[in-house]
Amino acid sequence: MTTAELVRQLQQVQSMSIVGMCKNAGKTTMLNWLLAHTGRQQVLGLTSIGRDGESTDVVTGTEKPSIFVPAGTLIATAKDMLRLGDVTQEILVTTGIPTPLGEVIIMRARSDGYVQLAGPSITAQLKEVSRTFFELGATQSIIDGALGRKSLGARNVADGIVLCTGASYNMSMDKVIEDTVNFCRLMDLPKAETLPPEATEGLEKCLKEYGEAYIPGALTDSMVVPLLRSGLLRGGRLVVADPSKVLLKPDTLDKLAVREVALQTKDAARTLCVTVNPVSAYGWKFDKDVFIDRMRQSVKVPVINVKEELA
Amino acid sequence: MISIRFEEKQQIGLQYALETLHGCSPFGQEKIRRLRYYTPAERAELETELYNVQQAADHADQLKGVYDKICILLCQMKDIRNSIRRCRDGEVPDHVELFEIKGYLQRLESLLPLYGQMSEAAPLRELTFHDPKPALAILDPDNTRSRGFYIPDSMTEKLRQVRRTKKELEEKLHEAGTDAEKDELRLRRTQICAEEESEETKIRRDMGARLAPLAEAMLEDAESAGRLDFIIQKAMFAVRYGGVMPEITDGPLELTDMMNPELCDLLSEQGRSFVPVSIALDRGATVITGANMGGKSVAMKTVALNVLLMQAGFLVCAKKARMPLFENVLMLFEDMQSIQSGLSGFGSEIVQFQKALNQAEQGYSLFLLDEFARGTNPDEGAVIVQAVTKYLNGINAISLLTTHYDKVADCGRAHYQIIGLRDIDPEAIRRELAVSGEDGIRVIARHMNYGLYRVEGKSDCPRDALNICRMLSLKPEILHLIEENY
Repeated sequence: MTTAELVRQLQQVQSMSIVGMCKNAGKTTMLNWLLAHTGRQQVLGLTSIGRDGESTDVVTGTEKPSIFVPAGTLIATAKDMLRLGDVTQEILVTTGIPTPLGEVIIMRARSDGYVQLAGPSITAQLKEVSRTFFELGATQSIIDGALGRKSLGARNVADGIVLCTGASYNMSMDKVIEDTVNFCRLMDLPKAETLPPEATEGLEKCLKEYGEAYIPGALTDSMVVPLLRSGLLRGGRLVVADPSKVLLKPDTLDKLAVREVALQTKDAARTLCVTVNPVSAYGWKFDKDVFIDRMRQSVKVPVINVKEELA
Repeated sequence: MISIRFEEKQQIGLQYALETLHGCSPFGQEKIRRLRYYTPAERAELETELYNVQQAADHADQLKGVYDKICILLCQMKDIRNSIRRCRDGEVPDHVELFEIKGYLQRLESLLPLYGQMSEAAPLRELTFHDPKPALAILDPDNTRSRGFYIPDSMTEKLRQVRRTKKELEEKLHEAGTDAEKDELRLRRTQICAEEESEETKIRRDMGARLAPLAEAMLEDAESAGRLDFIIQKAMFAVRYGGVMPEITDGPLELTDMMNPELCDLLSEQGRSFVPVSIALDRGATVITGANMGGKSVAMKTVALNVLLMQAGFLVCAKKARMPLFENVLMLFEDMQSIQSGLSGFGSEIVQFQKALNQAEQGYSLFLLDEFARGTNPDEGAVIVQAVTKYLNGINAISLLTTHYDKVADCGRAHYQIIGLRDIDPEAIRRELAVSGEDGIRVIARHMNYGLYRVEGKSDCPRDALNICRMLSLKPEILHLIEENY
């Protein structure tokens, strides 16, 4: 895939969240690549879920690339982070959103330069910041997202997801691929066109009555497996708030698919691409060609090697 | 000094009244949160405040649109007082602080013409603002009038040069081919960034120093914005609940048809209405007696509420008000006894009374005692309350007591009684109840006249208890026995 094609792919959505399966998956490399390649043609609004963008990874101690933004970019970050960057600042909005590192401030970079991100950690606040970006003239908002399971919630705040994964996730390549596939599968669950009745008095009762149900909390194996065994779950629909609420084993997901049960979510987002880093921060690495080939065969979206293609 | 505890505020409905206000600016909100009562020595200031509130209330209809716009601007103001104080004290303000001061000044600048409009219709006394332009000129030297804060290149020649170099380096960096070239450029860029930072710090220090002489004026304006905010809120309160300008006296307290907003709202939710209460009090003890459920406490609490509202600069919720200024307002209400003190209810009541009395004797005070000594046996209780009443006649305070006890009223300077069920035929209500099967308490409450009347000469507590027993159809055998001993 050429750079131009990838850029086009990523510009299809108005708001994007970059999420990682693990540390050192290449999240920041991806973000910098994006800023360098798309930030000059449009106004990007940039923030993060919580603190990110430190120059050494606090968990593994490896050197991490800082975030380098082009002039014109809008940045939402905590007040204490402002002096750690070196862009020329124009302060635009004080949001009143508190973080442990001070209030979240929205500024415009009046020069190129490094920034440190520490945005809001609550979904509603992220949405609010995103909205303000567009009010201030942004054409696309990018959220430097969370890690691990939490990042499944990213689709609450963005309509496109860039998923970063890599050898740091697990020593077994099989496991990395399996979980990445599963992640994509959950992330790409279709959006529910209509909301079925809420299962307030138990899933079983609701399904018997309506044949479909909205589950406001988590959807777990212990809820689904007995209903699969009893034969009650056949056809119909299960709707959850967002993919992070689905705590089902891949095996259970397969069974639901066989029984033609539609699993849907309230909000919709889609995976735009998967980036992989074949080198682990913990010392091991995968054969990059094998790893990328296998990943490409397993997921439906473009797969990019952060170490080579984005360098 | 008047100091009212939160529980007391809740009991008399002052907290409710304050919660109906919507302070817009942080300065106005602070004034509501830390309510200040004017002392008798600050009478002139209080009169100015009351005048201003009345002006604002009288023109509320005409100025509604202007008030709305003023409130929107006040809502957008942030509390910049600490940043201003830091400038005044010679510290270097950071970017965000300068941004917020600028934003505050811009809002103040937009507020001034609106305040001008308000002043044409309803001129306020002793409330003025400084022109924010000189301070704004420091923070927006190129007069861009943008909302953001940015140190422009034009500030110093040095800054212009540094930023130009930074930009050139960035462009070169963008086009650089080799890693070695990039590293070299990055190194130079880091140096330039450090120079930019130090030049900006110099400029920020300079801006802070130039703002310092204007700091006092800016702090005064923040105070004025808070006052304006509070005055508008007080005016809206007066419009909602009917406020009257009190005549300030040197001693007597006279409230005609006074209201209690909390009870008004509560009763109107139930489809009933508050019966306005009138009372005239002077130095010495006044005793209110009356039936159970008759609203003795309500009358007393409404007096306390209106006295405190007035001393906080509100118009009074009454048709007519003549009121003195008190050094202190003290309340002894039934459910405020400290349970933790380890004393019995009665014991702790006496401890609290002692404490309150000490304070009441320090200056002209309003002293309210609700059913004092109720927790002890009626014979002893009556003797105690009679003695307290006699003593209170002699101190420099208006004391108001409610009681059930006999012969207390004779000890006071004046005696009020709840009209209660005086004019009601118990037999009629008993029949009404027997037919409708409605909740007896409710029916009695509906027939209860909560008004007060002044009793001249000697009189005992009303015998409404027996009437209530009759209406609620107490077992005839018991009623009979009561009547025998009555």
